[in-house]
Amino acid sequence: MSDLLLADRIVKSFGTNRVLRGVTIGIGRGEVVGLFGPNGSGKTTLANIITGLARPDKGRILFEGKDVTDMSMDARFRAGIARTFQIPDPYPSLTVLESVRVALLCGEAARKETEGEGPGFQENLDSLLVRTGLFAQRFWPAAKLSQGCLRRLEFARAISCRPRFILLDEVFSALSAKDEAELVALMRSLHREEDISFLLISHNPLILEELCDRVVAIEDGRVFWEGKPGDLAKYVPSAHHAHGDEGENHEGG
Amino acid sequence: MKKPRFGKIPGVLVAGAGILLLLPLAGLDVFLLDVLTIGFLTAVYAGSWDIVGGLAGQISLGHALFFGTATYACALLTSLLGWPFPLAAGAALLLSTAAGAAVGALSAPLKGPFVALLTLALGEAAHEFFLGQTFFSPKGAYSWGGEGGIPVQLGIPSVSPWTAYYAALAFLLLCTWIMLRIARSETGLIWTALSGSELSARASGVDIQRHKRLAFVVAAALAGAAGVGYAACVGRATADDFSLELSFQAATFAAVGGRGTIVGPILAALLFHPLLQGTGIPPAGRVLLYALALLITLRFFPAGVAGTLRERARARRMTGRKGNGR
Repeated sequence: MSDLLLADRIVKSFGTNRVLRGVTIGIGRGEVVGLFGPNGSGKTTLANIITGLARPDKGRILFEGKDVTDMSMDARFRAGIARTFQIPDPYPSLTVLESVRVALLCGEAARKETEGEGPGFQENLDSLLVRTGLFAQRFWPAAKLSQGCLRRLEFARAISCRPRFILLDEVFSALSAKDEAELVALMRSLHREEDISFLLISHNPLILEELCDRVVAIEDGRVFWEGKPGDLAKYVPSAHHAHGDEGENHEGG
Repeated sequence: MKKPRFGKIPGVLVAGAGILLLLPLAGLDVFLLDVLTIGFLTAVYAGSWDIVGGLAGQISLGHALFFGTATYACALLTSLLGWPFPLAAGAALLLSTAAGAAVGALSAPLKGPFVALLTLALGEAAHEFFLGQTFFSPKGAYSWGGEGGIPVQLGIPSVSPWTAYYAALAFLLLCTWIMLRIARSETGLIWTALSGSELSARASGVDIQRHKRLAFVVAAALAGAAGVGYAACVGRATADDFSLELSFQAATFAAVGGRGTIVGPILAALLFHPLLQGTGIPPAGRVLLYALALLITLRFFPAGVAGTLRERARARRMTGRKGNGR
């Protein structure tokens, strides 16, 4: 299978703590893959390595056939690998519009080299804000947004580089039902219309079942199971527990 | 729809510039004229700190390094090597810019407090070095350096204080305009983002190390320009040009005026410098006054005077344009 993105035998230790012990995950073009694992299983470390925030001790990251292991996070963004953070960190002194503008400026510069002049910058910026439902709040300070809107801002930032791949780190956790539904719809439309591939990190099996084509479960730094989202609870004990705990939903903060 | 390019604050600036233009006609004595002339150069220096420390958020506590590099280059090149002043001034600008590139390269991989520590150490190292360093005139007739300083040869008979006043004022207005242009440019926006959250900036495709280096280079060039002006006005470079007080002064003016606003630190310098110099308060008293001013501002204007006013204006704008509320 020709992978859009491949994390190949990734090993990473922090001191004597071996967080990842040879994890391999491939994501195909237009595919939505879920990454499941209990707290401390190495999900976020793997996310950081895939997006360039951390370096693996061993192994490599291939994107569209190219080795991007030594690329910095910002270079990967310009190359089409975007991500959202579990805990958004908005710029304290910028408005929503300005925050998205920063990402579009850097993504735009990358695009000009390959595609020539696109449509007007301002139009692009406005359509990004409309698409993510932030247009009405565009003059708000980004730091004053609600949790739901902050996640949309993460989406707006991520799609400003016209990515082929977005890594979503716990993007649906700790949200109201309405916010969650709107964000799910946004992700689906991006997947359908822009053919973006996703790696969706979550400890919530229900969300993974609803959205993913395939789920990879990791535990203790190894791939523990891989298969159809519907079978997750059957084969992965920690998913079963999570199913039972669903009502409490005290994660993500 | 066109955005107004010059909002409220530059209106204040135009009024201020008008007052400063007419002030000498009101019969200022020569001493006050001198104090204000140096005040204009100090304001440019305070603004240059705000480029790197306010806009880009890289707290530099060794900013005097760039200022002193320029004054020393002017003095050494004209007195020791006999260069004409304009040539020495050009070289001084290049040298302070190069110092900015070097400090930027060293501090770009570092974060917050470590940038402050590194710049503090580099600034103090330069201060100590020039305090102890003696330079000999070509025939060994004089020895210069240390606290006594090195003369700057302007190569022209003495300039009238009025000429110096207006030249410094023109220089301040030019530099203020340049710095505001930078702050409102795309690069200025990227620097503001970087100072707010390095992580979000990196995830938005910002090459943060390149931009940190760039901010240091631009700030050092402007501080160097202020140093060249100072060397020309005072006619002497001393080890004090590298002093810690000068570095702290810039950071204090910026904190009081409003970090990242450019105009705030410049106005703070324009207000404080004449107040402190014109009244002949001893250095120990000056440091106490800095501390007092800092305490009062942080209590009532946490983002600095101009910064807090800007935040309030933004909050008003936000409720005004909400669209869906009320």
